[in-house]
Amino acid sequence: MKNFNNVFVVDDDLVYHFIIKKLFSKCNVNANTSYFFNGLEAIDDLKNKVKTDNVPDLILLDINMPVFDGWQFLEEFKKLKENLTKEITVYLVSSSNDITDLNKYKEYQDEVKKYYYKPMTQEDFETIFVPN
Amino acid sequence: MKTSLTSKDYFLEGKVNFYKNILNQIPDLIFQVTISPENDFYFSYFNKSMINFFELDGDELKGKPINVINSRVHPDDRKVFFETLYASKNKLEPWSCEFRVTINSQGLLWFKVDATVTKDVNSNVIFYCVLTDITDIKNRESKVKESQERCQFALEASQKGIWDYDLRTGKVYFSKESLDILQLDEEDGITTNEQWDARIHPDDLIDYLSNIQSHIDNQSPYFENTKRVLAKNGEYKWILSIGKIIERDENGNPLRIIGTHNDVSLNKLKEKELLNNLDIIIEQNNRLLNFAHIVSHNLRSHTGNFKMLLNVIDETEDEVSKEECFGYLKTTSNALSETIDHLKELVDIHSTIIHKREDLNLNIFLNQTLEVLSKEIKDNKVKIVNKIGEKETIKFNPAYLESLFLNFTTNAIKYSHPDRTPVINYSSSRENGKVVLMIQDNGLGINLEKHGEKLFGMYKTFHKNDNARGIGLFITKNQIESMGGTIEVESKVNVGTTFKINFNEEL
Repeated sequence: MKNFNNVFVVDDDLVYHFIIKKLFSKCNVNANTSYFFNGLEAIDDLKNKVKTDNVPDLILLDINMPVFDGWQFLEEFKKLKENLTKEITVYLVSSSNDITDLNKYKEYQDEVKKYYYKPMTQEDFETIFVPN
Repeated sequence: MKTSLTSKDYFLEGKVNFYKNILNQIPDLIFQVTISPENDFYFSYFNKSMINFFELDGDELKGKPINVINSRVHPDDRKVFFETLYASKNKLEPWSCEFRVTINSQGLLWFKVDATVTKDVNSNVIFYCVLTDITDIKNRESKVKESQERCQFALEASQKGIWDYDLRTGKVYFSKESLDILQLDEEDGITTNEQWDARIHPDDLIDYLSNIQSHIDNQSPYFENTKRVLAKNGEYKWILSIGKIIERDENGNPLRIIGTHNDVSLNKLKEKELLNNLDIIIEQNNRLLNFAHIVSHNLRSHTGNFKMLLNVIDETEDEVSKEECFGYLKTTSNALSETIDHLKELVDIHSTIIHKREDLNLNIFLNQTLEVLSKEIKDNKVKIVNKIGEKETIKFNPAYLESLFLNFTTNAIKYSHPDRTPVINYSSSRENGKVVLMIQDNGLGINLEKHGEKLFGMYKTFHKNDNARGIGLFITKNQIESMGGTIEVESKVNVGTTFKINFNEEL
C-alpha cells in the first residue's frame, strides 16, 4: 500500500471533510491530511510548505469555494509549480456538472490529473489512493 | 343653260381648277366650312384626301353636315367642337380645336383642326381648315401622364418626398411631401442645401456628410443616410435619404443629385423597442443560466452529501460513527432547506410581475436599519456618516429597501479593517433626475479583478461560511434590478468599498 506523506483536502463543506476522513480510515490509507476551507488557506499553507520542502503529494480540490475558489487556487499553483522539486498530483472534486466548469478544467490539463464528480464513491477514492 | 364666258372668266375658272387639282393631290386633310349669317352651317369643300380618309360617301356629302359631324366626332368632343367653332366665327379669329374621331376602318383617332377665318361679301364666314392626325402625340402624352401619375401615387403611398439638388447653384427642389415630413411648406422658403443641412442634428452631421462624400467619390453606387432633421415644431424626425448623382462635369465633379426622403421615425422607435426587448430577453436568459448554475452547484452538493453519509451509515457497525453521521445528515438537511428557501426567494423576486412600490424616504429606512443593527454598530465602534438628503424619496418596494440597507451595512461591518475605526458613509445625489445612493466603507476592500465576477454572483453565495459575502448581495442585486435599478461597485484592497445604487423610478 502506498503511503502519502501529505494530502491536502480543499473544500468548504464540513460534511465532505468528514466523508473523506471516513474513507481514509475505511480504506486503510495512512496519510497525513490537512483540511482547508478555501483556496486561499490552502495556497498560503502550500507556500509555507514549499519553504520547508514539505509539500503534499496529492491535493483534492473543490471548485466552488468562498474567498479563493478552485480555479484561483490553480492559477496560483501554476506559478508555484515551476519551482517545485517534487510532483504534486491535483484532483478536482466538485458537484458541478456545469459546462463552463468542465471547459475550464480542460485549460488546466497540465495541473489537474482528473475531474471527479461528487459524491465521491469508495471506488473513486480507491482509484486515487489504492492503485492496483 | 350656258352663258358665254369671257377670257377673264376662263382664266379664273382655270385658276380654280388648278387649285382644286393641286389640293386633291396633296395628302393633307383640307376642307372648308361656311357659316351663313343665319348660322346655317355647311361644308363648302373637301379635298380628295379628306373624302377618302373619312370614308365619306355621296349621300353624306349631299346630306346635312351635322350628320357627318355626329357620325364621326366623338360624342364627348362635339360640344367643344361647336363652341370653339362659333366662338371663332363671332370673333373672326383663327379656329383651333382638338377632338376625337371615329372612323370605321381605323377606330378612334385624335385630330387637331387649324383654320383661318374670313368673311365674304354676303357676310358668310368661311373657315379654311387643315386637319392633323395627333393620335401619336396624344398617346405619348397620355403615357407620360400615366407614368407621372404612377410615380406620384407611388411616392404618395410610400410617403416619400423628392429632392433635386443642383450643385452649380446650391439650390434644392423639395417636393411637397418632402417638406410635409418636417411640417414645412413652400412659404417656409427652404430652397437651398445649406438651409437643409442646418436642420440636421449635430450628432448625425459627420456621418451624413461622409456618406455623401463616399458617393461623390464613387465609393458607393448611391447615397444613403438616416439622420435626425429638425421639424418645424422643434422635434427631430428620423429621415432616410437615398440619392444618386445624375450629372457630373468633365472632371467628375457632381452637378446634380436627385433622391428621396422617407420619414422613418416610427421604424426607429420600433427598432429601439426591439433592442430594449432584446436586452430584457438577454437579461432573463442570463438569469436562467444563473439559476442552472445554482442548481448545478448547490443542490447537487447537498444530495451528494446525503448519498455519501448514507453509504457510511450503511457500512459502519460503529454506533458512535453512526451518531456522527446523523448529526451531519441534519446539517445537510438544514443547508438544503436553506438553499431551497433562497431559490424560492429568488424566483419570487423575478416572477412577481408587478412589484409593490411606495414612496419611501431613504432616511427613515436607513435609521430603521441602524436601529436594528445598533448592537453590532456599538460593539464594533462603527462611525456612521449620513449625508442622505432629508427628504430624498424613492418609489421602491419597502421590503427590498429594508434588505438593501441591512445587507450593505452588515457587510460593511463584517468586512471592516482591523487597524482602523470602521466608517460607513451614506449619501444620495441625482443623476439625470434619478436618485443615486452611495454606501461607502473604509473596510478590507475587495480585489475586483479577482473576485469581481463572483461578488454579485451566486457561485458561493449559498455556502454558510463566515467568510462568504453570502446570499445577501446576490438577492439585493436581484431586487434592485427587478425594480429597474442598477448597482455598481468600486473597491480597493485595504482602502474600502463603495456601492452605488442607481434607482430607476420610470419602470
